[in-house]
Amino acid sequence: MGVFEGALTYANLLALLALGLTLTYITTAVPNFAHGSFAVIGSYLAYTLLAAYGVNPYLAVIPAFIVGGLIGTVVYQLTIKPLIRKGASVDMLMMATLAIDIILYGILGAYSDFLSEAFKRNASKFVFTNIDFTVGSVPGRVFVSTALVIGTLIGLYVLLYKTKFGIALRASMENPALAEAMGIDVEKTRLFSWFLAAALAGMVGAVLPFLQETVPGTGGFIIVSVFAASIVGGLRNIAGGLIGGYIIGFSESMVTYGLSDVLGTGVLVYGKVVSLLIMVAVLLLMPEGVTGTKLWRRLVG
Amino acid sequence: MISEVLQLILVWVGIYTVVNISLNVEYGYTGIPNFGRHFAVLMGAIAVGGILNRVLMKLLGVSGDLITGTTDLVSRADDLFAAHPVYGIAYLVVSLALAFTLGAVMGALFILPSSRLREDYLGMTLLAMAEVTFLITYYTPSIMGGYYGTSVPDPLAFLSGDSREWTFIGITTLLALLVYLLSERLLNTPFGRLLRAHRENETVVLAFGRNLMGIRINASIIGSGIAALAGVLYGFHALNLISSSFSRVEWTFYPFLMLLLGGRGNNRGIILGTAIFVTLKVLIETYKFQISSLLHLPFEPVWLEYILFGIMALLILYYRPEGLIKEGMIKTEPLKKREAGQ
Repeated sequence: MGVFEGALTYANLLALLALGLTLTYITTAVPNFAHGSFAVIGSYLAYTLLAAYGVNPYLAVIPAFIVGGLIGTVVYQLTIKPLIRKGASVDMLMMATLAIDIILYGILGAYSDFLSEAFKRNASKFVFTNIDFTVGSVPGRVFVSTALVIGTLIGLYVLLYKTKFGIALRASMENPALAEAMGIDVEKTRLFSWFLAAALAGMVGAVLPFLQETVPGTGGFIIVSVFAASIVGGLRNIAGGLIGGYIIGFSESMVTYGLSDVLGTGVLVYGKVVSLLIMVAVLLLMPEGVTGTKLWRRLVG
Repeated sequence: MISEVLQLILVWVGIYTVVNISLNVEYGYTGIPNFGRHFAVLMGAIAVGGILNRVLMKLLGVSGDLITGTTDLVSRADDLFAAHPVYGIAYLVVSLALAFTLGAVMGALFILPSSRLREDYLGMTLLAMAEVTFLITYYTPSIMGGYYGTSVPDPLAFLSGDSREWTFIGITTLLALLVYLLSERLLNTPFGRLLRAHRENETVVLAFGRNLMGIRINASIIGSGIAALAGVLYGFHALNLISSSFSRVEWTFYPFLMLLLGGRGNNRGIILGTAIFVTLKVLIETYKFQISSLLHLPFEPVWLEYILFGIMALLILYYRPEGLIKEGMIKTEPLKKREAGQ
């Protein structure tokens, strides 16, 4: 696979993850530490469908979207919503999402042991790369991940700009207090944002094993890049997640591929250093991220 | 069996008390949500496994690198410490001092990029930096053995069996007590009250002409220095350092859980929280096979441990966010006098 194709696939997936993280951050004002694990749920769902029924993981994108969304909804209803009702502070909410991440990690680990036992094959780490299709010499994951981004953008555009609920959603993202005063049910928009963010993450998860080896702890590994992407893009703007996703996704993969010539394989981890450096630079120079700069505001109007 | 379980509980209460008090200085007093606590603990481990191991290899004339020479190094150093206990004690003291210094310096650097930020950004950045450091240490064996791991000499090699264990427990407990007393003392100074003021209202602190960045950096220096001590204690407990032991679950999530359980901003509560949590954890780990066969678990019991402790954290957050013992007033001198007078 070419360097560019790999980088584009990774950037597409990262952009979708960062988009979801930014969405829940805007509506609930808490960075969701469990966001990476939401994606791994999708990966394990796709793996189960493949191992049990031979379903192509690309088809599992749809059930992964639904199941991811349902789990996001349940998690929000059971944990975040009651805590917000009780007036929990931001650091309490952060700790709650950290706890959710540990719980999901435990469940995924237990489930992978169970799968290994049930199907007599090691489910504690897996890839789908070997069953990917190709068009010419270009692997299918490039097309699928790009299609997912385009589909998500179209869906979001229709939802946010063409429906009444979308207008309410945008209003409560801009100014929750004012939106509430205008009679918008902010609670509903929060719930929806958790559904959508987790659903997108689940969808990404089904495709992720085509790109890299997936283990129960992949969520904790990928969350670093997602945080970097959201911060670089700007956590106050939903477009920030996308832009940050592409900046971090491309630079991380390019540097990783560049370094692998020098250092050999297994340099995936050093790609994270690049994300971190970019994140630190952004925090020092423009703490509001790319979408928080004056230049951006002027460009977008 | 019972004696072994008791020893494990006491060692871990000592080690975790040190970490938890360090977290209390940063999060409990100062309000910095340091979700990258494992960073500083890892620094302590690097001080012993990465730096002092190399120094000892030079001093004892051991050939090879950190991974190939580790067996030879440990046997020679252990022989030396067995013959001369003074060297062993000196090694222990130097380890702790070096770890504190490294932890403090790295702690300052660690918080520097985010020291201007709000708490949510702060939490994300600290977690990301710690996680990347953890991954690099794991995948780069030249730092401290990475995934191969490296052994460390036993500073108490002049003792053996139970007497070694109990002496080590004594040292750990003593250090935990010292850290406890020092941090209590710290809170009762104008600096300690400044830390709490920072937690409660940053704007007020600014209005009084104090430097927010300075407060955060100082808190991180003290907290990270103390946390690095726990890395050393863990190293001398396990006598073997594998980078994967310094994970987010073990050294960030669990400390936060103990802090919550005991009561944030309150050292006595934290010791109570630590004792309860460690007892539970050690019991689960000791009897994991019995638990597994009793419940017919189709998976490793460690996953159950994660799920249970995660749920426990959520329950505490919801039902008792102030912890078992609520944070009290600062006992200033006039207050103490008034209490004594009554």
